[in-house]
Amino acid sequence: MQLGARLMTSVRSEEAAFEALFTAEYARVVGIANRVLADPHEAEDVAQDVFIDFHRLHSASADYAPAWLHRAAAHASLNRLRGARRRLKREVAQAMQEGDRALDPQKQMEVNEDRRHVRQALARLAPKPAAALALRASGLSYVEVSQALGVGIGQVGTLLRRAEAALRKEVTRGTSD
Amino acid sequence: MVDDADARSGADAAHLEGCSECQARMKVVAEDASSIAALLAVPEARVDVGAAFQGVMQQPKSQPALVRFPILRPASRPTFALVAAVVAAAVVIVAFTFSGFFFKPTTVKTVPVTVADVQALSQLADYGTITWSKEPQLQATTSAADASSVAGGLQPPTVSKLPAGVSTNVTYGAMSEAVATFTFSAEKAAAAAAKHGKTLPPMPAGMDGATLTITVGPAVGEVYGDLNRPSADTNTINLPQLIIARSAAPTAKATGVTVNDLESFILAQPGITPELKKAVSAIGDPSTTLLIPVPIEYATSTQVTVQGVDGVALGDNTGVGSAVVWVKGGSVYVVAGSIKQSEAINIANNLK
Repeated sequence: MQLGARLMTSVRSEEAAFEALFTAEYARVVGIANRVLADPHEAEDVAQDVFIDFHRLHSASADYAPAWLHRAAAHASLNRLRGARRRLKREVAQAMQEGDRALDPQKQMEVNEDRRHVRQALARLAPKPAAALALRASGLSYVEVSQALGVGIGQVGTLLRRAEAALRKEVTRGTSD
Repeated sequence: MVDDADARSGADAAHLEGCSECQARMKVVAEDASSIAALLAVPEARVDVGAAFQGVMQQPKSQPALVRFPILRPASRPTFALVAAVVAAAVVIVAFTFSGFFFKPTTVKTVPVTVADVQALSQLADYGTITWSKEPQLQATTSAADASSVAGGLQPPTVSKLPAGVSTNVTYGAMSEAVATFTFSAEKAAAAAAKHGKTLPPMPAGMDGATLTITVGPAVGEVYGDLNRPSADTNTINLPQLIIARSAAPTAKATGVTVNDLESFILAQPGITPELKKAVSAIGDPSTTLLIPVPIEYATSTQVTVQGVDGVALGDNTGVGSAVVWVKGGSVYVVAGSIKQSEAINIANNLK
Protein backbone atom coordinates (compact mmCIF):
# COMPACT_ATOMS: atom_id res chain seq x y z
CA MET A 1 0.00 0.00 0.00
CA GLN A 2 3.00 2.29 -0.21
CA LEU A 3 1.65 4.53 -2.94
CA GLY A 4 -1.93 4.52 -1.65
CA ALA A 5 -0.73 5.33 1.86
CA ARG A 6 1.46 8.14 0.58
CA LEU A 7 -1.39 9.62 -1.38
CA MET A 8 -3.73 9.45 1.61
CA THR A 9 -1.10 11.07 3.84
CA SER A 10 -0.62 13.78 1.28
CA VAL A 11 -4.39 14.44 1.01
CA ARG A 12 -4.77 14.54 4.80
CA SER A 13 -1.81 16.83 5.33
CA GLU A 14 -3.17 19.14 2.62
CA GLU A 15 -6.51 19.33 4.45
CA ALA A 16 -4.77 20.03 7.76
CA ALA A 17 -2.60 22.69 6.11
CA PHE A 18 -5.67 24.38 4.63
CA GLU A 19 -7.42 24.47 7.99
CA ALA A 20 -4.32 25.97 9.61
CA LEU A 21 -4.04 28.57 6.84
CA PHE A 22 -7.74 29.40 7.16
CA THR A 23 -7.50 29.81 10.95
CA ALA A 24 -4.40 31.98 10.66
CA GLU A 25 -5.57 34.24 7.84
CA TYR A 26 -9.37 34.36 7.75
CA ALA A 27 -9.82 37.34 10.10
CA ARG A 28 -7.16 39.30 8.26
CA VAL A 29 -8.64 38.53 4.84
CA VAL A 30 -12.08 39.66 6.09
CA GLY A 31 -10.38 42.75 7.55
CA ILE A 32 -8.91 43.71 4.17
CA ALA A 33 -12.23 43.25 2.38
CA ASN A 34 -14.08 45.15 5.12
CA ARG A 35 -11.60 48.01 4.84
CA VAL A 36 -12.51 48.36 1.17
CA LEU A 37 -16.23 47.64 1.33
CA ALA A 38 -17.08 49.01 4.80
CA ASP A 39 -19.57 46.17 5.10
CA PRO A 40 -18.64 43.22 7.35
CA HIS A 41 -21.20 40.86 5.81
CA GLU A 42 -20.13 41.48 2.27
CA ALA A 43 -16.49 41.31 3.42
CA GLU A 44 -17.08 37.80 4.79
CA ASP A 45 -18.66 36.87 1.47
CA VAL A 46 -15.56 38.04 -0.39
CA ALA A 47 -13.22 36.31 2.06
CA GLN A 48 -15.00 32.98 1.68
CA ASP A 49 -14.89 33.22 -2.12
CA VAL A 50 -11.18 34.01 -1.92
CA PHE A 51 -10.49 30.94 0.24
CA ILE A 52 -12.64 28.73 -1.99
CA ASP A 53 -10.73 29.87 -5.07
CA PHE A 54 -7.43 29.33 -3.31
CA HIS A 55 -8.34 25.86 -2.07
CA ARG A 56 -9.40 24.71 -5.51
CA LEU A 57 -6.20 25.55 -7.26
CA HIS A 58 -3.36 25.95 -4.80
CA SER A 59 -1.56 24.03 -2.13
CA ALA A 60 -2.15 25.46 1.35
CA SER A 61 1.45 24.79 2.28
CA ALA A 62 2.76 26.96 -0.57
CA ASP A 63 5.05 29.76 0.61
CA TYR A 64 3.04 32.31 -1.32
CA ALA A 65 -0.31 31.39 0.30
CA PRO A 66 -0.77 34.40 2.67
CA ALA A 67 0.45 36.90 0.05
CA TRP A 68 -1.92 35.38 -2.53
CA LEU A 69 -4.88 35.63 -0.14
CA HIS A 70 -4.13 39.26 0.78
CA ARG A 71 -3.81 40.29 -2.83
CA ALA A 72 -6.93 38.40 -3.87
CA ALA A 73 -8.92 39.92 -0.97
CA ALA A 74 -7.92 43.44 -1.97
CA HIS A 75 -8.66 42.96 -5.66
CA ALA A 76 -11.88 41.00 -5.21
CA SER A 77 -13.30 43.60 -2.83
CA LEU A 78 -12.18 46.50 -5.03
CA ASN A 79 -13.93 44.81 -7.95
CA ARG A 80 -17.11 44.58 -5.89
CA LEU A 81 -16.77 48.20 -4.89
CA ARG A 82 -16.67 49.13 -8.56
CA GLY A 83 -19.75 47.05 -9.34
CA ALA A 84 -22.48 49.68 -9.65
CA ARG A 85 -25.31 47.23 -9.14
CA ARG A 86 -24.15 46.23 -5.68
CA ARG A 87 -23.43 49.74 -4.54
CA LEU A 88 -26.95 50.66 -3.59
CA LYS A 89 -27.46 47.47 -1.60
CA ARG A 90 -24.25 48.09 0.28
CA GLU A 91 -25.08 51.65 1.11
CA VAL A 92 -28.40 50.59 2.61
CA ALA A 93 -26.58 47.95 4.64
CA GLN A 94 -23.99 50.47 5.76
CA ALA A 95 -26.70 52.83 6.98
CA MET A 96 -28.03 50.08 9.18
CA GLN A 97 -24.69 48.99 10.52
CA GLU A 98 -24.89 47.74 14.08
CA GLY A 99 -21.38 48.66 15.17
CA ASP A 100 -22.17 52.38 15.23
CA ARG A 101 -25.51 52.33 17.03
CA ALA A 102 -24.06 54.25 19.92
CA LEU A 103 -23.75 57.35 17.73
CA ASP A 104 -26.65 59.77 17.54
CA PRO A 105 -28.59 59.60 14.26
CA GLN A 106 -27.25 62.91 12.92
CA LYS A 107 -23.65 61.92 13.60
CA GLN A 108 -24.31 58.45 12.18
CA MET A 109 -25.54 59.96 8.93
CA GLU A 110 -22.39 62.06 8.63
CA VAL A 111 -20.15 59.08 9.32
CA ASN A 112 -21.96 57.01 6.69
CA GLU A 113 -21.76 59.83 4.18
CA ASP A 114 -18.00 60.20 4.78
CA ARG A 115 -17.43 56.48 4.37
CA ARG A 116 -19.42 56.45 1.16
CA HIS A 117 -17.37 59.32 -0.26
CA VAL A 118 -14.08 57.67 0.67
CA ARG A 119 -15.13 54.37 -0.92
CA GLN A 120 -16.26 56.12 -4.08
CA ALA A 121 -12.87 57.82 -4.23
CA LEU A 122 -11.06 54.52 -3.60
CA ALA A 123 -13.01 52.88 -6.43
CA ARG A 124 -11.75 55.56 -8.81
CA LEU A 125 -8.04 54.86 -8.07
CA ALA A 126 -5.97 52.51 -10.24
CA PRO A 127 -6.04 48.91 -8.89
CA LYS A 128 -2.49 48.78 -7.53
CA PRO A 129 -2.48 51.97 -5.44
CA ALA A 130 -6.00 51.21 -4.22
CA ALA A 131 -4.92 47.72 -3.13
CA ALA A 132 -1.78 49.10 -1.48
CA LEU A 133 -3.83 51.53 0.62
CA ALA A 134 -6.36 48.87 1.63
CA LEU A 135 -3.64 46.42 2.63
CA ARG A 136 -1.60 48.93 4.60
CA ALA A 137 -4.69 50.33 6.35
CA SER A 138 -5.59 46.76 7.30
CA GLY A 139 -2.37 46.50 9.28
CA LEU A 140 -0.08 44.73 6.81
CA SER A 141 3.60 45.60 7.16
CA TYR A 142 5.62 47.01 4.26
CA VAL A 143 7.10 43.54 3.71
CA GLU A 144 3.65 41.97 3.54
CA VAL A 145 2.36 44.66 1.18
CA SER A 146 5.37 44.12 -1.08
CA GLN A 147 4.78 40.34 -1.14
CA ALA A 148 1.06 40.69 -1.78
CA LEU A 149 1.49 43.13 -4.65
CA GLY A 150 4.67 41.64 -6.08
CA VAL A 151 6.64 44.88 -5.83
CA GLY A 152 10.09 45.42 -4.32
CA ILE A 153 10.15 46.39 -0.64
CA GLY A 154 11.94 49.60 -1.63
CA GLN A 155 9.01 50.66 -3.82
CA VAL A 156 6.29 50.25 -1.19
CA GLY A 157 6.90 53.62 0.49
CA THR A 158 6.72 55.51 -2.81
CA LEU A 159 3.67 53.52 -3.94
CA LEU A 160 1.86 54.33 -0.70
CA ARG A 161 2.76 58.05 -0.71
CA ARG A 162 1.49 58.41 -4.28
CA ALA A 163 -1.64 56.40 -3.49
CA GLU A 164 -2.34 58.57 -0.43
CA ALA A 165 -1.99 61.74 -2.51
CA ALA A 166 -4.24 60.28 -5.22
CA LEU A 167 -6.89 59.25 -2.71
CA ARG A 168 -6.83 62.66 -1.03
CA LYS A 169 -7.26 64.29 -4.43
CA GLU A 170 -10.19 62.03 -5.30
CA VAL A 171 -11.88 62.62 -1.93
CA THR A 172 -11.56 66.38 -2.38
CA ARG A 173 -12.85 66.12 -5.93
CA GLY A 174 -15.77 64.01 -4.73
CA THR A 175 -16.82 66.49 -2.04
CA SER A 176 -16.43 69.59 -4.28
CA ASP A 177 -18.52 68.03 -7.10
CA MET B 1 12.62 56.44 4.75
CA VAL B 2 9.24 54.88 5.48
CA ASP B 3 6.57 54.93 8.15
CA ASP B 4 7.10 51.26 9.01
CA ALA B 5 9.99 51.08 11.48
CA ASP B 6 10.66 47.42 10.62
CA ALA B 7 11.11 48.23 6.94
CA ARG B 8 13.80 50.86 7.53
CA SER B 9 17.33 49.73 6.83
CA GLY B 10 19.93 50.06 9.59
CA ALA B 11 21.66 52.95 7.83
CA ASP B 12 18.37 54.82 7.34
CA ALA B 13 17.38 54.34 10.97
CA ALA B 14 20.78 55.58 12.17
CA HIS B 15 20.58 58.61 9.89
CA LEU B 16 17.03 59.43 10.95
CA GLU B 17 18.10 59.54 14.58
CA GLY B 18 20.57 62.32 13.98
CA CYS B 19 18.92 64.36 11.21
CA SER B 20 16.29 66.88 12.27
CA GLU B 21 15.33 67.66 8.66
CA CYS B 22 14.53 64.01 7.99
CA GLN B 23 12.71 63.73 11.30
CA ALA B 24 10.47 66.63 10.29
CA ARG B 25 9.81 65.06 6.88
CA MET B 26 9.18 61.71 8.55
CA LYS B 27 6.63 63.37 10.84
CA VAL B 28 4.73 64.78 7.84
CA VAL B 29 4.74 61.35 6.13
CA ALA B 30 3.53 59.61 9.27
CA GLU B 31 0.76 62.17 9.78
CA ASP B 32 -0.32 61.87 6.17
CA ALA B 33 -0.41 58.09 6.47
CA SER B 34 -2.42 58.17 9.67
CA SER B 35 -4.91 60.67 8.26
CA ILE B 36 -5.49 58.31 5.31
CA ALA B 37 -5.81 55.40 7.73
CA ALA B 38 -8.45 57.44 9.58
CA LEU B 39 -10.29 58.09 6.32
CA LEU B 40 -10.40 54.36 5.64
CA ALA B 41 -11.32 53.41 9.21
CA VAL B 42 -14.29 51.08 9.65
CA PRO B 43 -15.81 49.26 12.61
CA GLU B 44 -13.96 45.98 12.98
CA ALA B 45 -15.64 42.93 11.44
CA ARG B 46 -16.26 40.30 14.09
CA VAL B 47 -15.79 36.84 12.65
CA ASP B 48 -16.49 33.30 13.77
CA VAL B 49 -13.56 31.51 12.15
CA GLY B 50 -14.80 28.00 13.02
CA ALA B 51 -18.26 28.56 11.54
CA ALA B 52 -16.77 30.24 8.47
CA PHE B 53 -14.43 27.29 7.92
CA GLN B 54 -17.30 24.82 8.12
CA GLY B 55 -19.25 26.97 5.67
CA VAL B 56 -16.40 27.05 3.19
CA MET B 57 -15.76 23.30 3.43
CA GLN B 58 -19.43 22.52 2.83
CA GLN B 59 -19.41 24.38 -0.46
CA PRO B 60 -19.08 21.67 -3.10
CA LYS B 61 -17.10 24.03 -5.29
CA SER B 62 -14.42 24.36 -2.63
CA GLN B 63 -13.38 20.74 -3.00
CA PRO B 64 -9.99 20.54 -4.64
CA ALA B 65 -9.99 18.75 -7.95
CA LEU B 66 -8.90 15.24 -7.04
CA VAL B 67 -7.92 14.54 -10.59
CA ARG B 68 -6.00 17.76 -10.84
CA PHE B 69 -3.53 17.29 -13.64
CA PRO B 70 0.10 17.30 -12.48
CA ILE B 71 0.82 20.52 -14.35
CA LEU B 72 -1.80 22.37 -12.34
CA ARG B 73 -0.24 21.51 -9.04
CA PRO B 74 1.84 24.30 -7.55
CA ALA B 75 5.28 22.92 -6.91
CA SER B 76 6.93 25.56 -4.80
CA ARG B 77 7.39 23.16 -1.92
CA PRO B 78 6.88 19.52 -2.83
CA THR B 79 9.97 17.40 -3.21
CA PHE B 80 10.85 15.72 -6.46
CA ALA B 81 9.58 12.43 -5.14
CA LEU B 82 6.19 14.00 -4.56
CA VAL B 83 6.12 15.34 -8.09
CA ALA B 84 6.91 11.85 -9.30
CA ALA B 85 4.16 10.49 -7.04
CA VAL B 86 1.68 12.95 -8.50
CA VAL B 87 2.57 11.90 -12.03
CA ALA B 88 2.26 8.27 -11.03
CA ALA B 89 -0.98 9.03 -9.21
CA ALA B 90 -2.51 10.39 -12.37
CA VAL B 91 -1.80 7.06 -14.04
CA VAL B 92 -3.02 5.11 -11.02
CA ILE B 93 -6.23 7.15 -10.75
CA VAL B 94 -6.90 6.53 -14.41
CA ALA B 95 -6.23 2.85 -13.95
CA PHE B 96 -8.38 2.49 -10.85
CA THR B 97 -11.37 4.54 -11.75
CA PHE B 98 -11.71 3.36 -15.26
CA SER B 99 -10.03 -0.01 -15.09
CA GLY B 100 -13.21 -1.76 -16.09
CA PHE B 101 -13.08 -0.19 -19.49
CA PHE B 102 -9.77 -1.18 -20.93
CA PHE B 103 -7.49 -4.13 -21.09
CA LYS B 104 -4.70 -2.88 -23.30
CA PRO B 105 -5.12 0.70 -24.36
CA THR B 106 -3.80 1.71 -27.73
CA THR B 107 -5.33 5.17 -27.85
CA VAL B 108 -6.42 7.95 -25.49
CA LYS B 109 -9.64 9.91 -25.01
CA THR B 110 -10.62 12.45 -22.40
CA VAL B 111 -13.83 12.27 -20.41
CA PRO B 112 -15.18 15.26 -18.50
CA VAL B 113 -15.65 14.57 -14.80
CA THR B 114 -17.24 16.63 -12.05
CA VAL B 115 -16.61 16.63 -8.31
CA ALA B 116 -19.75 14.50 -7.93
CA ASP B 117 -18.34 11.91 -10.35
CA VAL B 118 -15.04 11.76 -8.52
CA GLN B 119 -16.80 11.33 -5.18
CA ALA B 120 -19.02 8.59 -6.62
CA LEU B 121 -16.08 6.79 -8.21
CA SER B 122 -13.94 7.02 -5.10
CA GLN B 123 -16.66 5.10 -3.21
CA LEU B 124 -15.82 2.10 -5.39
CA ALA B 125 -12.67 1.68 -3.31
CA ASP B 126 -14.94 0.66 -0.40
CA TYR B 127 -16.49 -2.18 -2.39
CA GLY B 128 -13.68 -4.63 -1.80
CA THR B 129 -10.05 -5.01 -0.82
CA ILE B 130 -6.86 -4.00 -2.58
CA THR B 131 -3.72 -6.08 -2.29
CA TRP B 132 -0.42 -5.23 -3.88
CA SER B 133 1.51 -8.10 -5.31
CA LYS B 134 4.20 -5.67 -6.41
CA GLU B 135 4.47 -2.33 -4.67
CA PRO B 136 5.61 0.69 -6.66
CA GLN B 137 9.01 2.14 -5.79
CA LEU B 138 9.36 5.84 -6.47
CA GLN B 139 12.67 7.57 -6.86
CA ALA B 140 14.01 10.94 -7.98
CA THR B 141 17.48 10.93 -9.51
CA THR B 142 19.78 13.33 -11.27
CA SER B 143 20.75 10.96 -14.06
CA ALA B 144 18.69 9.38 -16.81
CA ALA B 145 20.60 6.12 -16.37
CA ASP B 146 19.63 5.81 -12.67
CA ALA B 147 16.00 6.53 -13.48
CA SER B 148 16.04 3.93 -16.22
CA SER B 149 17.45 1.27 -13.91
CA VAL B 150 14.67 1.89 -11.31
CA ALA B 151 12.12 1.61 -14.14
CA GLY B 152 13.40 -1.78 -15.29
CA GLY B 153 15.28 -0.42 -18.28
CA LEU B 154 12.60 1.92 -19.64
CA GLN B 155 14.42 4.91 -21.15
CA PRO B 156 13.26 8.45 -20.41
CA PRO B 157 12.34 10.25 -23.65
CA THR B 158 14.85 12.81 -24.91
CA VAL B 159 13.78 16.32 -25.84
CA SER B 160 15.51 17.57 -28.97
CA LYS B 161 14.96 21.27 -28.31
CA LEU B 162 13.56 23.05 -25.24
CA PRO B 163 11.28 26.05 -25.85
CA ALA B 164 12.80 29.44 -25.05
CA GLY B 165 12.52 30.30 -21.38
CA VAL B 166 12.39 26.72 -20.09
CA SER B 167 15.18 26.00 -17.61
CA THR B 168 17.68 23.31 -18.59
CA ASN B 169 17.76 22.27 -14.93
CA VAL B 170 16.43 18.70 -15.10
CA THR B 171 15.45 16.09 -12.53
CA TYR B 172 14.55 12.52 -13.39
CA GLY B 173 11.88 10.50 -11.65
CA ALA B 174 11.12 6.82 -11.93
CA MET B 175 8.51 4.36 -10.75
CA SER B 176 8.95 0.61 -10.81
CA GLU B 177 6.21 -1.64 -12.16
CA ALA B 178 3.36 -2.13 -9.69
CA VAL B 179 0.67 -4.78 -9.64
CA ALA B 180 -2.46 -4.50 -7.53
CA THR B 181 -5.47 -6.76 -7.29
CA PHE B 182 -8.91 -5.54 -6.29
CA THR B 183 -11.32 -8.19 -5.01
CA PHE B 184 -14.99 -7.19 -5.08
CA SER B 185 -17.06 -7.99 -2.02
CA ALA B 186 -20.87 -7.79 -2.11
CA GLU B 187 -20.93 -7.52 1.67
CA LYS B 188 -18.51 -4.57 1.78
CA ALA B 189 -20.30 -2.84 -1.06
CA ALA B 190 -23.64 -3.11 0.70
CA ALA B 191 -22.12 -1.82 3.96
CA ALA B 192 -20.50 1.12 2.15
CA ALA B 193 -23.75 2.02 0.42
CA ALA B 194 -25.71 1.76 3.68
CA LYS B 195 -23.19 4.02 5.41
CA HIS B 196 -23.81 6.71 2.80
CA GLY B 197 -27.55 6.10 2.84
CA LYS B 198 -27.57 5.06 -0.80
CA THR B 199 -29.09 2.19 -2.70
CA LEU B 200 -26.53 0.14 -4.53
CA PRO B 201 -27.20 -0.76 -8.16
CA PRO B 202 -27.62 -4.55 -8.52
CA MET B 203 -24.25 -6.30 -8.74
CA PRO B 204 -23.78 -8.41 -11.87
CA ALA B 205 -23.86 -12.17 -11.26
CA GLY B 206 -20.44 -13.44 -10.24
CA MET B 207 -19.20 -10.05 -9.15
CA ASP B 208 -18.90 -11.06 -5.48
CA GLY B 209 -15.34 -12.34 -5.22
CA ALA B 210 -14.46 -11.28 -8.77
CA THR B 211 -10.95 -9.84 -9.11
CA LEU B 212 -9.44 -7.12 -11.17
CA THR B 213 -5.66 -7.12 -11.49
CA ILE B 214 -4.08 -3.91 -12.63
CA THR B 215 -0.51 -3.42 -13.73
CA VAL B 216 0.83 0.12 -13.85
CA GLY B 217 4.26 1.29 -14.84
CA PRO B 218 7.14 1.11 -14.96
CA ALA B 219 7.32 4.81 -15.63
CA VAL B 220 10.10 7.32 -16.13
CA GLY B 221 9.96 11.05 -16.46
CA GLU B 222 11.94 14.23 -16.42
CA VAL B 223 11.03 17.53 -14.85
CA TYR B 224 12.55 20.76 -16.16
CA GLY B 225 12.63 23.87 -14.03
CA ASP B 226 13.91 25.02 -10.67
CA LEU B 227 11.40 23.46 -8.32
CA ASN B 228 12.77 24.98 -5.13
CA ARG B 229 12.83 28.57 -6.22
CA PRO B 230 9.95 30.53 -4.69
CA SER B 231 7.72 32.35 -7.10
CA ALA B 232 8.73 36.01 -7.30
CA ASP B 233 5.42 37.18 -8.68
CA THR B 234 2.32 36.15 -6.78
CA ASN B 235 0.41 36.22 -10.05
CA THR B 236 2.14 33.07 -11.18
CA ILE B 237 2.29 29.69 -9.54
CA ASN B 238 5.73 28.17 -9.45
CA LEU B 239 4.95 25.19 -11.68
CA PRO B 240 7.58 22.90 -13.03
CA GLN B 241 8.12 24.37 -16.46
CA LEU B 242 8.01 21.09 -18.29
CA ILE B 243 7.27 17.47 -17.39
CA ILE B 244 7.86 14.66 -19.84
CA ALA B 245 6.85 11.18 -18.79
CA ARG B 246 6.62 7.77 -20.34
CA SER B 247 4.87 4.83 -18.75
CA ALA B 248 4.22 1.32 -19.92
CA ALA B 249 0.51 1.37 -20.80
CA PRO B 250 -1.51 0.17 -17.80
CA THR B 251 -3.20 -3.17 -18.27
CA ALA B 252 -6.07 -4.81 -16.45
CA LYS B 253 -7.31 -8.37 -16.21
CA ALA B 254 -10.62 -9.36 -14.72
CA THR B 255 -11.84 -12.70 -13.44
CA GLY B 256 -15.46 -13.64 -12.81
CA VAL B 257 -17.00 -10.66 -14.55
CA THR B 258 -17.07 -9.16 -18.05
CA VAL B 259 -15.90 -5.69 -19.08
CA ASN B 260 -19.41 -4.73 -20.14
CA ASP B 261 -20.86 -5.81 -16.79
CA LEU B 262 -18.24 -3.77 -14.94
CA GLU B 263 -18.86 -0.73 -17.13
CA SER B 264 -22.61 -0.85 -16.53
CA PHE B 265 -22.13 -1.37 -12.81
CA ILE B 266 -19.71 1.55 -12.43
CA LEU B 267 -21.87 3.90 -14.51
CA ALA B 268 -24.92 2.93 -12.43
CA GLN B 269 -23.29 4.19 -9.20
CA PRO B 270 -25.35 6.80 -7.38
CA GLY B 271 -23.83 10.20 -8.06
CA ILE B 272 -22.44 9.60 -11.56
CA THR B 273 -23.51 12.51 -13.74
CA PRO B 274 -25.35 12.05 -17.04
CA GLU B 275 -22.49 13.91 -18.78
CA LEU B 276 -19.95 11.28 -17.74
CA LYS B 277 -22.31 8.43 -18.69
CA LYS B 278 -22.81 9.98 -22.09
CA ALA B 279 -19.08 10.60 -22.62
CA VAL B 280 -18.14 7.05 -21.66
CA SER B 281 -20.91 5.54 -23.81
CA ALA B 282 -19.61 7.54 -26.77
CA ILE B 283 -16.18 5.87 -26.59
CA GLY B 284 -15.87 3.44 -29.47
CA ASP B 285 -14.02 0.44 -28.10
CA PRO B 286 -13.63 0.66 -24.32
CA SER B 287 -11.10 -2.14 -24.12
CA THR B 288 -8.49 -0.30 -26.19
CA THR B 289 -9.01 3.26 -25.00
CA LEU B 290 -7.22 4.92 -22.12
CA LEU B 291 -9.63 7.36 -20.51
CA ILE B 292 -8.20 10.52 -19.03
CA PRO B 293 -10.50 12.16 -16.51
CA VAL B 294 -10.45 15.93 -16.92
CA PRO B 295 -12.28 18.24 -14.50
CA ILE B 296 -15.17 19.60 -16.51
CA GLU B 297 -14.61 23.24 -15.64
CA TYR B 298 -10.83 23.29 -15.88
CA ALA B 299 -9.79 21.97 -19.20
CA THR B 300 -10.67 21.86 -22.81
CA SER B 301 -9.30 19.03 -24.87
CA THR B 302 -8.73 18.56 -28.56
CA GLN B 303 -7.84 15.52 -30.63
CA VAL B 304 -4.39 15.91 -32.17
CA THR B 305 -2.01 13.76 -34.19
CA VAL B 306 1.28 13.20 -32.40
CA GLN B 307 4.09 11.09 -33.85
CA GLY B 308 1.67 9.68 -36.36
CA VAL B 309 -0.89 8.48 -33.81
CA ASP B 310 -4.02 10.00 -32.23
CA GLY B 311 -3.48 11.91 -29.02
CA VAL B 312 -5.24 14.48 -26.90
CA ALA B 313 -4.07 17.98 -26.14
CA LEU B 314 -5.27 19.61 -22.94
CA GLY B 315 -5.04 23.26 -22.18
CA ASP B 316 -6.39 24.73 -19.02
CA ASN B 317 -8.70 27.70 -19.30
CA THR B 318 -6.43 30.18 -17.56
CA GLY B 319 -3.68 29.70 -20.13
CA VAL B 320 -1.04 28.79 -17.57
CA GLY B 321 -0.41 25.29 -18.80
CA SER B 322 -0.99 22.64 -21.41
CA ALA B 323 -0.41 18.95 -21.94
CA VAL B 324 -0.34 16.33 -24.68
CA VAL B 325 -0.99 12.63 -24.03
CA TRP B 326 -0.70 9.78 -26.50
CA VAL B 327 -0.14 6.03 -26.64
CA LYS B 328 2.45 4.53 -28.95
CA GLY B 329 4.28 1.22 -29.03
CA GLY B 330 2.77 0.07 -25.71
CA SER B 331 3.79 3.22 -23.82
CA VAL B 332 1.73 6.18 -22.62
CA TYR B 333 3.53 9.49 -23.13
CA VAL B 334 2.79 12.80 -21.43
CA VAL B 335 4.27 16.21 -22.20
CA ALA B 336 2.98 18.86 -19.81
CA GLY B 337 4.07 22.19 -18.46
CA SER B 338 3.58 25.90 -18.13
CA ILE B 339 4.02 26.29 -21.86
CA LYS B 340 1.79 26.99 -24.85
CA GLN B 341 -0.16 24.13 -26.37
CA SER B 342 1.65 24.55 -29.69
CA GLU B 343 4.98 24.20 -27.87
CA ALA B 344 3.78 21.06 -26.08
CA ILE B 345 2.72 19.50 -29.39
CA ASN B 346 6.03 20.49 -30.96
CA ILE B 347 8.03 18.87 -28.15
CA ALA B 348 5.83 15.77 -28.37
CA ASN B 349 6.46 15.41 -32.09
CA ASN B 350 10.21 15.74 -31.63
CA LEU B 351 10.69 13.38 -28.68
CA LYS B 352 13.29 10.70 -29.22
